Amino acid sequence: MNDDFVTAGVNLQFSYAAGAAASRFLCALRDEQKIFGARCPECRRVLAPARSFCPRCFVETNEWLEVGPGGTLGAFVAPPFAQLLEPTLTLALIQLDGADTALVHRLGEFDAPMLRRGLRVVPVFAASRRGHILDLAYFKPVELDNAHSI
Amino acid sequence: MRHAAIIGTGQTKHTKAHDDMNQAELVRQAATRALSDAGITFREVDAVVLANMELFEGRALPEMWVGAGAGGYLKPAIKIATGGTSGTSAAIAGYHQCASGLFDIVLVVGWEKHSEGATQTGMAMVDPLWDRNVASGAVGNFALSISQYVAERGVTPAQAAQVAVKARRNAAKNPYAHLQMPDLTVEQVLRSPMLADPVHRLDMCPQSDGACALVYAAQGIAEKLCARPAWVRAAVTRHDQPYIGDLDRRLVTMRTLRDAARAAYHQVGIVEPRKQIDVAEIYEPVSYAELAWYEALGFCAEGKAGELIDEGVTEMNGELPVNPSGGVLSSNPVGASGVLRVAEAAMQVMGRAGAHQIADARVALATGYGVYAWSDVMILGADT
Amino acid sequence: MTELLKISHTMHLEWRYGVGASFHEFIAALRARAQLLGRRCPSCQRVYLPPRPVCGNCYVELRDWVEVRDTGTVRAFTIVHTPIIDPTTGARRPSPYTMALIQLDGADTTLNHYLEASDPTKLRIGMRVRAVWRAPRTGLLGDISHFTELTDE
Repeated sequence: MNDDFVTAGVNLQFSYAAGAAASRFLCALRDEQKIFGARCPECRRVLAPARSFCPRCFVETNEWLEVGPGGTLGAFVAPPFAQLLEPTLTLALIQLDGADTALVHRLGEFDAPMLRRGLRVVPVFAASRRGHILDLAYFKPVELDNAHSI
Repeated sequence: MRHAAIIGTGQTKHTKAHDDMNQAELVRQAATRALSDAGITFREVDAVVLANMELFEGRALPEMWVGAGAGGYLKPAIKIATGGTSGTSAAIAGYHQCASGLFDIVLVVGWEKHSEGATQTGMAMVDPLWDRNVASGAVGNFALSISQYVAERGVTPAQAAQVAVKARRNAAKNPYAHLQMPDLTVEQVLRSPMLADPVHRLDMCPQSDGACALVYAAQGIAEKLCARPAWVRAAVTRHDQPYIGDLDRRLVTMRTLRDAARAAYHQVGIVEPRKQIDVAEIYEPVSYAELAWYEALGFCAEGKAGELIDEGVTEMNGELPVNPSGGVLSSNPVGASGVLRVAEAAMQVMGRAGAHQIADARVALATGYGVYAWSDVMILGADT
Repeated sequence: MTELLKISHTMHLEWRYGVGASFHEFIAALRARAQLLGRRCPSCQRVYLPPRPVCGNCYVELRDWVEVRDTGTVRAFTIVHTPIIDPTTGARRPSPYTMALIQLDGADTTLNHYLEASDPTKLRIGMRVRAVWRAPRTGLLGDISHFTELTDE
């Protein structure tokens, strides 16, 4: 070190409680490979990932329902900063079928030129799952002219 | 400026680990209870003030994460982060917002999830240019100051232990408190493991998960919503220099608390605190600190704190009950601990303290403390 | 009853702090000559360690350097049995160990540092102590390993 700067590092460990609602959502990813949303009884929106209360109405959600698994690509970005850590990382906002909120997640198995708003995507679950948002490994585009309805 | 009062409070059970709720849900539980106690919905709230610190919870912008839990959607919301005084600073900020005339109803929520991580490590991140390599942590720092206090004021370990006993026995009457020990004795405190001489484990506050909220309403509105509002009579803050070594015998002099109390008493016309204050909720992270605060707050003369506890003056049935809720010694969700002092003082004035209610409490004192010597003092009253 | 999950994260954070003019001098003197430097307030005459740009009491700019000796008097001490997690390593500091507030000769503030005595029963407020230095020096407080009793004055 010199006389002008002092470097100081710190190691911090955290272990966050997901809470009952998020735990239920994550267990469904792990055990059933299903994505759940929750409906607000007042505004009727389906919030996905499912959560225990609606932030706009400030009331508890009361109905759990499966959303997706497919959805529509909204926005997407290859964030330059994140790519320092993970060269192929591309993040997306995905509107899952049946959900009123968008999910932020990763894209995989794609060629950049095919990405556009409105593209249909489906989830790929991780082979080894542990009750974590990355039990959903990524979403991949599906070709609509394969005549499979998603 | 106009008068403002607390018209409702709410808190979660304070406990070692709230694994059943994430941080936003914890905040929401305290907030909804406070709104219910105030008789309003979240729509009537004009502004939200949150108390917590990034380092405590390891998450940038915790106010954004939990803001929805405080009903902050489409509202002005800010976070106050001043270490241990976060809660009282937030309570004072909420009061300022309401009394200013800009917001009629203000919600204040403080919270903490010690169980989730690195609060203690965060607190040990003192000045990297100076003393981070020799940081003693909260207990060590207190023990240093206590060694000076004991040398000068002569309080005994048994007197300090009695403070700890009072706290946990009082907590047994508070359904939300973390450490409820109705049968705790001085001997048990003195036999508990030594953390840093002379502080035993049971002399020290716990690490709790919990949240606490309170609702302010402006004069003209408070009276319509609440039969016995707790009016803010004074709110004073004092800070001191940044290093523990700057402070002259910290607990002996505690000039920030002394000066804040002097200013607050002057504003309210209190010249004999022991007679004119009906109940006090003071922020005491360690038993010895409560003794030092008795002197700094003028509850007794210098050197007489030991006598005060010996004579039972500050017990629930004494002349000036201190911490009928059990205090920080019984429940310490740090971001909420300061809010709890103000909320508990308000509950006394409002007549809503249940089994730990002090009869005819019309003037209540609440204090906040933060490393190393930051002090907040609030006085709440049944009259404006 | 849902299984309640916990999500873990480990963060390693690093900062590079500019030391500023006050510490620049302090670091240089400490590293080159094992000399501690304080700053005196021209108004209240208080000598501050660490050096800093302003006197907190007077709000007057500090410019005068004062040599502070590496001997001093213990003003407070404690034996720590339950250590904290060292924030830089993430490991627990071994215990028990003794901490003290030491007023170095020439300074008005006290210094928070480690204390070791050959005979722990001799630890008392008012005892005279001296610094034990590490080599090589970096210019920061860690250059002093601990303080120990001063035997010849």
